Amino acid sequence: MITTPLAISLEGKLIADAICELGVTHVISVPDTNLRTVLADLAARSVPKLMYVCTEDEAIGINAGLYMTGHKPMLLIQNNGFYACINTIKAIALGAEVPTFMLVGQFGRDVNKRVEDSPNRAVHRLEPTMTTWGVPFVRIDEPDDVPLIRAAWDRAWTTKGPSAAIVGAPSR
Amino acid sequence: MQKQEAIDLLVKHRHGAISVTTMQAAAPWHLAGQTSSMHCEASLCMGSAASLALGLALGAPQHNVMVLDGDGSLLMQLGSLVTVASFAPANFYHFVFANGTYESSGNQPVPGTGVMDLPALAKASGYADAFSFEDAAELDPALPELFDRDGPILIELKIARDDATPRWALVPMAEMVRALRNELAP
Repeated sequence: MITTPLAISLEGKLIADAICELGVTHVISVPDTNLRTVLADLAARSVPKLMYVCTEDEAIGINAGLYMTGHKPMLLIQNNGFYACINTIKAIALGAEVPTFMLVGQFGRDVNKRVEDSPNRAVHRLEPTMTTWGVPFVRIDEPDDVPLIRAAWDRAWTTKGPSAAIVGAPSR
Repeated sequence: MQKQEAIDLLVKHRHGAISVTTMQAAAPWHLAGQTSSMHCEASLCMGSAASLALGLALGAPQHNVMVLDGDGSLLMQLGSLVTVASFAPANFYHFVFANGTYESSGNQPVPGTGVMDLPALAKASGYADAFSFEDAAELDPALPELFDRDGPILIELKIARDDATPRWALVPMAEMVRALRNELAP
């Protein structure tokens, strides 16, 4: 039986172009396997500056410092990385009201299953965890969803808080 | 040295640098009148002072950035030493108030006290240099020379245990973020 995937693999360049169109100055990342072609595309560009850091906690701190100096940074992380930095999201993105836009890869997702039905805890608990913490999110599961990256970015800046775009399938 | 001695000397030698404080240094820095301008506080972040300061240092290279960190706080995100070193901000001065205790929660011992070597960790992580001071009389004349050197530099300050009731930051972090952004990116 042939099944239609519920999330389609997007070209890394398509996502990287969408990031550049936002005017992002820095992409701060603890790398995500699913978004490796996005990272490779960004690495080949001089703007935005791609910064690899040791932890997602650091990424949120650096994002705040760059924001205070007038830059427009963002994070590129993995679902597991989101869980790793919840206290810092609580303190800085939410508590200190810092625009914190996160592109998050759904590492470990079976694209033939609904996110809610995934046996992988990191996948099926991501959106409920974001909801619990007041982190709005959009799903980027197909090419028509790419404009939602801008919507999520704008939301972070409008609300001065966290906002996420979750990429459902490995980029190609 | 006493914490207040260290605070007084850093006030004396600040010369307009951006400051970032956390935990034990936060309230005395505020009470010393140092938080009304060019300042941000990071006490509820469990170790993010250095990374927040790194963003400031990279984003505003025309300013010196001084971090008033704690030993327990730094250990919560020790990898930030490596991240700071990898971006090598010349304007980054990392002061660590090392009293060997989690002061705000009741002076429980910080792991590694008496065993770990913070300056050695910083140098092994790639900091340009690192120092340790136990005596305020030695720190005072050394500070101008330290600020003349390119960072990132870590300066461990051996602080005496303080059993007074902990004092917390007096201004919400969101207010400080807004104020500092207004100064740096009006």
